[in-house]
Amino acid sequence: MDIIFTVIREDTFWKILLSVHFMLALILLAALTLQVVTALMPARQVAGGFVDRGPIPAASYATLIAVVYLLQALMGAWIYIKYRTYVRIPMEELRYWWTVGGFDFKEHTVAMGVGLLPAYWYFWQQPASTERAGVRKWLTVFLTLGVWYALSIGHVANYFRGVGS
Amino acid sequence: MTQTLDAREGFSQLDSSHPSTAQAGATSETFVVTFGIAFTLGYTVFQMLNWPLFTYMPAVGKTYFWLHRPVSGEGPPMFWYGWIVTAAINAFVVGWIATIVPGHWLRRATVFCCVLSALWPAALAGLRIFILDWATFDADFLNSIWVAAIPALLGTGIITYYVPSRFADLMWTRWLLVVPIGGLVVLGYGLILLWFLR
Repeated sequence: MDIIFTVIREDTFWKILLSVHFMLALILLAALTLQVVTALMPARQVAGGFVDRGPIPAASYATLIAVVYLLQALMGAWIYIKYRTYVRIPMEELRYWWTVGGFDFKEHTVAMGVGLLPAYWYFWQQPASTERAGVRKWLTVFLTLGVWYALSIGHVANYFRGVGS
Repeated sequence: MTQTLDAREGFSQLDSSHPSTAQAGATSETFVVTFGIAFTLGYTVFQMLNWPLFTYMPAVGKTYFWLHRPVSGEGPPMFWYGWIVTAAINAFVVGWIATIVPGHWLRRATVFCCVLSALWPAALAGLRIFILDWATFDADFLNSIWVAAIPALLGTGIITYYVPSRFADLMWTRWLLVVPIGGLVVLGYGLILLWFLR
């Protein structure tokens, strides 16, 4: 870390890291939201007995989502060091209890998502399997809601003390 | 047409000649499902009991094994990494064991663990209510997680014994959603008491 800080200022480094974290979160959110919409939309039966499965190949997103989710969790864990010392302490001093509690809940949500990631990825490797369609769909919904929540509360914390605040 | 039939025969042979592929698929599914359940359940339990594998002190850059209460000048402790690593190790071990035990045992064991994780804290809460509101003697000795384990294990044993195999099979992948949602409810409730009601 000290080598990096000889090249770049410490606060600039953390701001760059936070910005990359935010951009990756947007990619993850977009991919998961598209996938969950596809998973929740029933397949349409069109003329001739063909089934229209929609224009979005939801299964092909699964590996990308799993990789970006894991990358995001690791990046968030790294930034969390700065949050714990630089953001949370003044947050507590200024009695922003709801933000502190909301961010703690984000930690739990992300951790649960990490645990479910192997199952999520595995079940999307057989997208045609109707036997596991339910668990595949609801795992995707769970991860999507978790990422939406994480991004929202992350934005609130950033607004308190982060990039551009 | 002949080619199509040949091709179908070929696929049929492929299907029947690769039981090992199906076996590998079943093993992978067993592992990922068990990993998911064990990780989310373990994370909730380790967080509630505050059992991190290690504690990181970001202000001084020090890492301590297990739970470390900060001394003056060390700054705030971080347990989150420790809970995740503990949960991951636990889930890997449980997931591996799951791949070598028979399926019906695994499903029943999953029911046992999930029911126990609900009944144990419920039994403890029940005992505490009994001590405060009902007991006519000094019942403080009952305020212990080990005393609560007795009715919890008994209740879990009875429930697991009487749960039909079909229900255990049906629930197996569903625990993947029930456990994390239940875990988040428990953890969220803890946060409400800690932060939101201040």
